[in-house]
This record gives sequence, C-alpha cells and structure tokens, in this order.
Amino acid sequence: MYKLYIEKNTTSKELLKKVLKEKNIESDIIYNEYGKPYLKNNAFYFNISHSSCYTVLVISSKEIGVDIEKITMRDRVIDRICNDEEKKLIKSAEDFTKMWVKKESYVKYLGIGLSYGLENVNTLELNNFIIKKFKDYYIAIYGENLNKMED
Amino acid sequence: MEKEIIDLISKTLEIPSKDITLKTNLISDLELESLDLVDLITAFEKKYNIEILDKDIKNFQTVNDIVQYIKSKNV
Repeated sequence: MYKLYIEKNTTSKELLKKVLKEKNIESDIIYNEYGKPYLKNNAFYFNISHSSCYTVLVISSKEIGVDIEKITMRDRVIDRICNDEEKKLIKSAEDFTKMWVKKESYVKYLGIGLSYGLENVNTLELNNFIIKKFKDYYIAIYGENLNKMED
Repeated sequence: MEKEIIDLISKTLEIPSKDITLKTNLISDLELESLDLVDLITAFEKKYNIEILDKDIKNFQTVNDIVQYIKSKNV
C-alpha cells in the first residue's frame, strides 16, 4: 500500500512535516549509513524526491523508493547507466527519463542511492515499478505490494 | 586544470563560468540533482579518460573536491 504526494514550491522537510501532521504522527527522523531517512517510530516508510519546482513524497507500509525527473535527454548518461538491452529501448527523451527514474527509484528503495551504481540496476529484471507521467515529468515508484492507499 | 574543470562544468550544465569558483557547492550553490551529477562525472570521465565510481559522487561537495579527485587520478 502506498500514497503519493506531489507539491510545488516546497521543500522535502516541509512536505514531510505536512504529511506527519496530516497523519497525526510525531517522530524523529533517523538515517541509514547512505543517508536514507526513516521515521524512528516506524509508523510508515517514506521516500522523497524533487526536480525543478516539484517535490514528491511516497509513504508505504513497506520499504519504498521514489524519483521524479523533468523529461530530458542526456546521451552521455545512457552509455554509463544502461546495458545493451536497455539502450535499445531508449528512442526518445521520454524513454530516457523513464529509464532514469526507474533506476533511481530502485536504488532509493534499496536505501543505497547512487553508491549502488545505476549500471548495476537491470530494469528489465525488475517488475515492481509504478510509472506516472505528471505534466513534463516522470515519476517512478519502486516497492512491494504497491496497491494505492485510500485517500 | 582548475579553469579547464570549471569550463567543463559550465559547458556541460549550461551554467555561466563566472558563477563557478573552486568553493562553489554543487548542491547548495548550483542546485545540481543526481542526474546532473552523473552527467557531469561522465563528461569528466570522457575528457580525462578516467573512471569515476558512482559511490565516489557523494564525496563531491564543491568544485574543488572534483579538482582534487581528478588530480589524484594522476591526470
């Protein structure tokens, strides 16, 4: 179960504070060795990403990762992070952006981030993605049991 | 080498080079996101024919950190 929040012109800290208030939860934030934040009281898992003026936050009952990116093409990066099969799938900026957010959401789900090595993420072997297009952005969420929470 | 690196950051990320010094913070000053950082280090790899591991990216706080890293690769 997950819930996605999207806000414009806010910070990660402000959005998390708003969600905690909405859920009537008070908790300190703790970080793993790679900097992934968690609620100390384990009320839920969460993950945050931002791109340009948008910040997204997902909450879930299980580990989760999220990434948002404005649609863009970076040719150099394709060679660095994609295997040959993944490269064949990238024919447009939209394809590249979807690939990027998938890989980022997965390493953020793992709680390791870029240190994992995005080239080590084979998106063709991973099935638990939710991909959403939002205005000129793509959002990827990776986690288990990703049924949407009721509002 | 410092100027060369600043010029490459400027060209890669389309930021005026006058806005970049050795003390410039990549995140708080230039507001770079993960994709920008990966794009940037890939540009450095190609220019200097070196390998920069993703796990080293988190150590790059300022432009000077990049300069020192590249110098440490005996470029």
